[in-house]
Amino acid sequence: MVEAIRRRLVIASTALLMLALPLVADRLAMPDLVALGTQVAIYAVAAVGLDLLIGYTGLSSFGHAGFFGLGGYVVGILAFHAADGSLFLGVVPGATAAWIAWPAAILISALAALAIGALSLRTSGVSFIMITLAFAQMLFYLFVSIKTYGGDDGLGFRRRNALPWINPRDDVAFYYVCLAVLALVLAACHRLVRSRFGIVLLGIKQNERRMAAIGLDGGRYKLAVFTLAGAIAGLAGALQANLLRFVSPDMLHWTMSGDFMVMVVLGGVGTLVGPVFGAAAMVLLQSWLTQWTEHWMIVMGPVLVAVILLTRRGIWGALAGRR
Amino acid sequence: MTALLRASGLTKRYGGLLACNDFALAVMPGSLHALIGPNGAGKSTAIGLLAGEIAADAGDITFDGNDITQVAIPARVKRGLTRSFQITSVLPQFTALENVAIVAQIRAGHSFCFWRDARDDRRLTDPARAMLDRVGLGPRAAILAADLAHGEQRQLELAMALMTGARMLLLDEPMAGLGQSESQDMTALLAALKGRVTILLVEHDMDAVAALADRVSVMVSGRVIAEGSFADMQSDPAVREAYLGEAG
Amino acid sequence: MTLLAEQLLNGLQYGVTLFLLAAGLTLVFGIMGLINLAHGSLYMVGAFVAARTQAGSGSFLMAVGAGMAVAAFVGMLMEVTILRRLYFRDHLDQVLATFGLILFFNEAMAMLFGRQPMMAAIPDFLSGSVTFIPGVPYPIYRLAIIAVGAAVAAILYGLIVHTRIGMLVRAGATHRDMVRALGVRIGVLYTLVFGLGALLAGLAGAMVGPLLSVQVGMGDRILISTFVVIVIGGLGSIRGALAGAMLVGMVDTLARAYLPALLKLVMAASDADGFGAGLSSMASMMLMAVVLIIRPRGLFPGHG
Repeated sequence: MVEAIRRRLVIASTALLMLALPLVADRLAMPDLVALGTQVAIYAVAAVGLDLLIGYTGLSSFGHAGFFGLGGYVVGILAFHAADGSLFLGVVPGATAAWIAWPAAILISALAALAIGALSLRTSGVSFIMITLAFAQMLFYLFVSIKTYGGDDGLGFRRRNALPWINPRDDVAFYYVCLAVLALVLAACHRLVRSRFGIVLLGIKQNERRMAAIGLDGGRYKLAVFTLAGAIAGLAGALQANLLRFVSPDMLHWTMSGDFMVMVVLGGVGTLVGPVFGAAAMVLLQSWLTQWTEHWMIVMGPVLVAVILLTRRGIWGALAGRR
Repeated sequence: MTALLRASGLTKRYGGLLACNDFALAVMPGSLHALIGPNGAGKSTAIGLLAGEIAADAGDITFDGNDITQVAIPARVKRGLTRSFQITSVLPQFTALENVAIVAQIRAGHSFCFWRDARDDRRLTDPARAMLDRVGLGPRAAILAADLAHGEQRQLELAMALMTGARMLLLDEPMAGLGQSESQDMTALLAALKGRVTILLVEHDMDAVAALADRVSVMVSGRVIAEGSFADMQSDPAVREAYLGEAG
Repeated sequence: MTLLAEQLLNGLQYGVTLFLLAAGLTLVFGIMGLINLAHGSLYMVGAFVAARTQAGSGSFLMAVGAGMAVAAFVGMLMEVTILRRLYFRDHLDQVLATFGLILFFNEAMAMLFGRQPMMAAIPDFLSGSVTFIPGVPYPIYRLAIIAVGAAVAAILYGLIVHTRIGMLVRAGATHRDMVRALGVRIGVLYTLVFGLGALLAGLAGAMVGPLLSVQVGMGDRILISTFVVIVIGGLGSIRGALAGAMLVGMVDTLARAYLPALLKLVMAASDADGFGAGLSSMASMMLMAVVLIIRPRGLFPGHG
């Protein structure tokens, strides 16, 4: 009972802090905070999706950045073609409206996840980790090699996707858009993991062999949740492209996949809200360390090792006193 | 009367080891048929083959008159053939009730329902509660499966298998690791089920086999060497040799 | 035709390099049940140490020795201080902790040796070419790498068939009870096995120095190719590692040699070069996809 109250308090105060962030940034005269907050919200969206795989189905996907980057490139490529009026593959016209570009990003990422998942889910355990990594890297090489869209250098575009009633140049408004998306994704996933679908996923995570013995064909559910997580990553990628007005193969780099996994584990596996704290910790730690030294990774690496070796419950576990 | 489950010529080879060698068995509907044999005789492999977890190198399995040799596990369960495990395998992070409710859910059809909270869906929890009462776990419904006593976990395991709506259970050593009084409880439970569900029972506990089995098949080195009543088997010279050979 | 023969030899040489890495990775996984992402970092350490030693001393053999020794030492140090705490953890924790190690090693190499790529020289006694296929002169140095790889494969084969370590590999997975039954001191054995894997990674790194540029991040790229090798070959199998490495080496090399030219038949030359390079990087992963469809557990599942 006390724990439930404590959990709600932590969530409520975090939500309040995130809502008030632009005001705080204004007061402290630290406008960078809004950009950092936006980055946290976007990474959190992707990490919550990954938690569905890692925390609720027991699928350690090491290829999440592939779908994240793919979503970003859909937005970038549509903007590119909209700018010069050309056609993608000679058929598809460009687009700058969010209501076209974002669903397109979600759809393409979902389709890629469906295909990659169908192949990767033929294996399990360590092989699954290696294969998802390799397929995501394949997408990475694909975008590196397409010179039309900038290859290695990436692809910039001038303006954020148009949303009704929102000024695309207003960074604070965009922050609230990302925050709203995060809230929606969290709420939907919260429902999902308690639904019949979510119960089955939890069963698969605990003992897949047992689930088969009571009549479950687990493969379809694993593929469905893998596709869903890919779609969520695609949405996050679309937001990321809008944040920077730039996409590059770095978004699909395998270290990005590693970062997403770290966010989930650091925040708390199988908790949904945990990854939000994980994303915040990663972004803030990186931004703090980069101010401090150019060689920030020499600190970040050992910190990661220490966190994995020494902590067991993640940030959310520590905050909410879970178990 | 024709057999509910019939296996003929089942063969499974692991490298140089013949785990099942021309294994044949017929289980009559409504009977409790015991499969016994010394360690390493291939009993667990036989269960795995019948349940569909292991693909046979040769041989056929028919269930209720239909060939199910190539049928996948979930489809076998839907037809009414369900197994339990030698090593207790309940879902440890679920409560006893949730363990049985998830079986009811799977039996009810696909689970592509993403929105409604399934945990307090009476259509699932009511039958699950009834099943827990039936195996004597009613008062323990809210306990996490991981926190149940070993004997209770075995009861839960049985409840899950029954909840699939099975017409036939393949029970792989349900008494394994149980104390004497727990074994007696499990024996009583199986005795109550007898006749309503067809059971193939793999068991080392000879008291239980003697008390329960209508018919006994003895498996040695991957094949059935003798079959009959428990008393027949006790006096069968081949069976005695197989067991004594093992002991000596 | 002559070009094809040359490319096949190049493929063999790349395959041998991949095998040296895959063998260590799969050995460690097979015996300790550990997935070690930092395996590529040991390759990088070997390459840097060898390149620097060669630049300083002028001796190639000393450079290779130093690269192997330092990689093995760093590997064993890593095992004793960090990795042995991960044997009982799940694979997710292993992946993340060794991911942290990669970040550390990449940055450490950048601080020690700088971000500029280093090139090592081919030693005099291995420079030049021989012509053993008529009309196809082939660099002696690459032949030497192939020979070393073949020797290592033979030694590993002997080790696996005739020794206790080999017995463990053939028994498969983490059989701690069995190790205890053999009366081996597990801690020491594990450290040595890990050191052997690191030694091979260091050897591979030291040998590629004169062929590739030695730079930060070189371990990451080859790590992913090594994963592809292992998935194709079958996890935990040395034989599979050998077969997978040869396949990936060939496919990757041939794709790089011929795909851009083939693409020029259907698209503009400038696009074809970039796209061809990308496609050839993807070729081995496509091979992996095909293998997965036909044999989900790899070509040589299981052990040995």
